[in-house]
Amino acid sequence: MRVTQALNQFQFLAQIHTLEANLSQTQNQISSNQAFTTASQNPTAAGSVNNYNQALAQSQQYVTNSNSAQTRLSTEDSTLSHIQLQLQSLRDLALQANTSTLSAQDRSAIATQAAQIQASIVGLANTQDGNGEYLFGGFSSQAQPFTQSVSGATYNGDQGQRQVQIAAGQTVADGDNGDTVFNQVPTGNGTFAAAPAATNTGTGVLGATTVSAAAGNYDGGTYSISFTAPGTYEVRDSANALVTSGSYTPGDSISFRGVQVTLNGQPASGDSFSVAPSTNQSLFATVQNLVTALRVGGSTSQATAQLNNAVSASLNNIDQALDNLSTVRASVGARLNTITTQQSVAGTQQIQLQTSISSLQSLDYASALTTLTQQNTTLSAALQAYTITQGLSLFKFL
Amino acid sequence: MSNVFGISVSALRAFQAAINVVSNNVANASTPGYDRESVTLTEAAPQSNGTASVGAGVAITGISRAYSHAAANQLNTSQSTLGQLTALQNYTTQIDNLFGTTAGGLSSSLQGFYSAWSNVANNPTSTASRQALLGQAQSVATSFQNASAQLNALNTDGNGRISADVAQINSIATQVSALNKQIVVSTGQNGGQQPNELLDQRDQLLSNLSQLVNVTTTTDSNGALNVFIGNGQPLVLQGQTTALTTVPNQFNASQLEISTSALSGNVISGSITSGDLGGLLSARAEVINPALNQLGQVATALSQTVNSQQAQGLDLKGQFGAAIFSTPGARAVSSSRNVDATTASVSVADVGTLTADDYVLSYNAGAYSLTRSSDGSSVALSGSGTVASPLTADGLSIVLSGTPAAGDQFLIQPTATAASSLKAVLTDPTKIAAAGAVQSSASNANTGHASISAGSVLDASNPNLLTTATIQFTSATTYSVNGGANVGYTDGGNIAVNGWEVQISGAPANGDVFTVKSNVGGTGDNRNALAAANQQTAGVLGGGTTSITGAVSAIITGLGSQAQQINTAQTAQTAINNQAVANVQSVSGVNLDEEAASLLQWQQAYQAAAQALTIGNSLFTTLINSVNGTYS
Repeated sequence: MRVTQALNQFQFLAQIHTLEANLSQTQNQISSNQAFTTASQNPTAAGSVNNYNQALAQSQQYVTNSNSAQTRLSTEDSTLSHIQLQLQSLRDLALQANTSTLSAQDRSAIATQAAQIQASIVGLANTQDGNGEYLFGGFSSQAQPFTQSVSGATYNGDQGQRQVQIAAGQTVADGDNGDTVFNQVPTGNGTFAAAPAATNTGTGVLGATTVSAAAGNYDGGTYSISFTAPGTYEVRDSANALVTSGSYTPGDSISFRGVQVTLNGQPASGDSFSVAPSTNQSLFATVQNLVTALRVGGSTSQATAQLNNAVSASLNNIDQALDNLSTVRASVGARLNTITTQQSVAGTQQIQLQTSISSLQSLDYASALTTLTQQNTTLSAALQAYTITQGLSLFKFL
Repeated sequence: MSNVFGISVSALRAFQAAINVVSNNVANASTPGYDRESVTLTEAAPQSNGTASVGAGVAITGISRAYSHAAANQLNTSQSTLGQLTALQNYTTQIDNLFGTTAGGLSSSLQGFYSAWSNVANNPTSTASRQALLGQAQSVATSFQNASAQLNALNTDGNGRISADVAQINSIATQVSALNKQIVVSTGQNGGQQPNELLDQRDQLLSNLSQLVNVTTTTDSNGALNVFIGNGQPLVLQGQTTALTTVPNQFNASQLEISTSALSGNVISGSITSGDLGGLLSARAEVINPALNQLGQVATALSQTVNSQQAQGLDLKGQFGAAIFSTPGARAVSSSRNVDATTASVSVADVGTLTADDYVLSYNAGAYSLTRSSDGSSVALSGSGTVASPLTADGLSIVLSGTPAAGDQFLIQPTATAASSLKAVLTDPTKIAAAGAVQSSASNANTGHASISAGSVLDASNPNLLTTATIQFTSATTYSVNGGANVGYTDGGNIAVNGWEVQISGAPANGDVFTVKSNVGGTGDNRNALAAANQQTAGVLGGGTTSITGAVSAIITGLGSQAQQINTAQTAQTAINNQAVANVQSVSGVNLDEEAASLLQWQQAYQAAAQALTIGNSLFTTLINSVNGTYS
C-alpha cells in the first residue's frame, strides 16, 4: 500500500485527537473523583446511582419523619406521666377522705384540693406541642380539646390518630386522641360496675367487685341485688326473674353468674344495689363525681355510707383511669422503641446505599492514575514518532 | 544526422513536461481532492531508411490522473454514514452533558418534592412546611421546563443546521452542474483528453456533498455526472439542478422538512438517511423528540397523580384540595393537508397505559385507524369517536367533531408538550390537602370491643361523601347503615358507603354505634399528605410497574445508552472512514519521496537527452571539420 505524506498527517491527527480525548476524560475523572460524569460513560450505573440516591434521600426523610414522631411521642409520654402523678395524689386524697374521722370542713378542704387537681389535669390534657398543636385533640389539633364543665369536661376533638411514615410500608401513630386517653375509661372493674341505689337508707357499702368464674360467666346483663330483710337478699335480672337469693352478714361476698360483690355494713330492708356492664366514663367525670361527693357532707351513718360508696366507686374509676393511662403509655413506649429500631435500621441502610453508590460512582484512583500515565506515555510516544517520521524525506538528500 | 537532434529535442520536451507534472504533484501534495498525475509517454513513429527502422524519439500522449472510482465511491459512502453519526453524536453528547447523571437536577427536585410532602405529613398545620412544599412544586416544574427547553433549543438549532445544509447542498449542486458543462465542452475540444483539474474539482464537490447527504451518481458518456439523493430524486442532471427547499412539517410548523419543491407534498425527509442532514433528521426523530415525550410522560403522570390525590383530601379550610400542577394535556394536530375542518381533541384517560409515543390518526374508507409514529405499527382502536363513545387506545381518549374526509390525518401527541408547559399553579399554602376527607369514630357508649379504621376515600366526586353516616349494630353480627337494611358483619371487612370505605374489626355489641363524617376541622390530619408522599415509590407508569422517580432514572439510563451507542458507532465508522481515506490516498495521493525519485529520474533522463544533443552536435562538428580539411 502506498502511504502518502497527507495520509500520514491525517492519520496522525486522528490518532492524536482520540488520545487527547481519552486523556482529557481520565483527567476529568481524577479531578472530579467520579468514575463517570455523564450517563453515556456508564448508562446502567448512572440509572442505578440515581435510584440509590433516591432511596438514600427517602431513607433520610424517614429518619426526619421518625424524629418528628419521636418528639411528639416523648412530649405525650411526659404529659401522661404528669397526669398519672396528679391522679395518684387524687387517689391519696380520696383514701384520706374516706376515713370516718374527718370533719366536714376537712373534707371540704380535700374537695377544694381535688378540684384544683382536676383543673390541672384538664390543663395537662390541653397540652400543646412545639408547633402549637394540641396533643390530645385527634385530627382537630388546632382546637382546644377539653373545656371544663359542671360534669367534668367536654371533649371538642375527634377520634383521629395521625400516622407518620417511618420506613417503607411502616407507619407509627405520633399521638393518641383525647377520647382514647381520657374518655374511654371503663367504670367499675372494667367488666361490670356495682352501684348503690340513691334511695338506700342502710349503711351497706360496696367493697371489692371481682369477676369470678365460680358461679358461671358474666353474661353482660344488668342485675339488682335487693334486700328483702336486713339479712336476706335476692338477685334478680333485668326481666325481674329471680337469679339467686341468700342470707347476708356484713363482709359477705354475694356471687352469681360470674359476678362477685363484697358488701360491708348493714343494708336496710328495701335497699338495693345494681350490677351493670361497665360503661365508658371520662376521667374528668370521675374526678367531678368525687369532688361533688366530698362536698355533700352530712354526719349521719346513711350519709357516711353514701360518701363511702361514692368514694370507693371513684377509687375504682381512678384505678381504671390509671390503668388506661398505663396502657396508653406502654403503647407510646412501644412506638418509641419501634422508632429507635427503625432509625438504626435506616442508619445501616444508608451506609449500605452509600457504599453501593460509592462502589459505582467513586473513582478507583490507583487504576485511574495508572491509566493516566499510560495514556500520557502513549501520547508522548505518538508525538515523538511523528516528528521522527516527518524528518524522513528524500528531498533532504537531493 | 538530423535524427539525433529531433530525437533529443523530443526527449527534452517530454522530460521537461514530466518534470512539470512531478512539480505539479509536489505543489498539490496537500490540495484536497487532488489526484496524482503522471505523463503517458509513447514512442514516436519510426523512420525507415530502407533497411532498418530507427526510432524517432518520444511523444507525450497524455497526462492521466490516478483515480479509482471504487475507492472514491467507498469513501463517499463511508463519509455519508460518518456524517450522519457525527451529527447525531453532536446532539447525544449535548444531551448527555445537559442531563448528566441527574437529569439536569430533575431527580433531586422530585425527591425534594416528595420529601416536602412527608414534612407536611409530619406537621400538617405548619404553614412553613406547606410553603416549602409549594416551593418544591415550583422547583419540580422549573426542572421539567428547563430540561425540555434545552431539548427544544436543540431542535431549533437542528432547524438552523438543516437550512444551512440544504443551502450548501444547493450550492454544490449548482457548481457540479456548471462543472458538468465545462467538462463536456473541454473533453470535446481536447479530442477526448480528460480535463483532470475539472474532474478533481467535481469529485471533491461530490465528496463534500456526500458528507451532507447520501447520494448516488451515474456518469454519462459525454463525461457529465448525474447526482441523485434519497430514493433517486435527481439533484443534478447534466447541466440542470433541482434545488431542495425546507418546508414546515405538516403537523408541526416549527419543525422543518426537506422537499424537492415548495409543495409540502414532495417531502423527501424520510428517504434522507445519512450524511449530516440525515443525522440532523434522525437526531430530531430518534433522540430529541422521544426524550421530550418521555419527560412529558413523567410530567403528565406527576401532575395527574398529585392533583387527583389533592382532590381526595381536605385543605386547612375544609375545602377539597386544589390542583398543584397544570399541564396542557395531550395534543391533537390536524394535518395542514386536511381538506375539511374536522378537529380532534384528545385527553389522557389512564396514565398507567400512557406511552411516550406519538401517533397518527387517519381516516380512510369510513373508519379511523391509529399508527404509532416511532415504528409505524398499527394500534387497535375501540369506540367510534363521539363524545359518548370516544376512540380509545393506549390510555388515550379521542373525540372528533365535524365530518371527516378520506385521507384526513391527525398527529396525536399525548405527552410532547407536557414537560415544557408543566406549571405549579397553587400559590396558597392553606390549599394543600393534607387531611383525609372523612373521619370515623366509635361512640363512647359502645359496650362491645370493636374499633373502626380511619376511613379512606374511594370516590371524591360522590356528592354525599361528607354527609354524616351512622353504622349501628343491630346485633353482635349485623349492622345497619343510616337505619337501612341489616347487613352481616365480617370482622375487618370493608364497609363502603357514599364514596368512602372503613373497616370495623373486633367484637361489637348490639347497639354499638360508629360514625363516619366529614373531616372538616380535622386540620391535624395528615392521611392525604401521607398518601401523596407515598406516591414517590408507587407504580404509576407502565401499567403500574414504574414509579415516577423510577421513570426519571430510566430516562437517564436510556439517554446515556443512546449516547454511548452513538459514540461507539461513530468511533467504529471513523475507523472505517480512515481506512477508506487510506485507500483513496493509496491510489491518488502524492508521495513526496516517490515524486523526489521521479524528479531525479526525469532529471537524469533530461541530462542524458541533453548529452545526446551535445554528442550529436560534436558529431556534426567533426563531420564539418573533416569536410573543411578535405576542401581547404
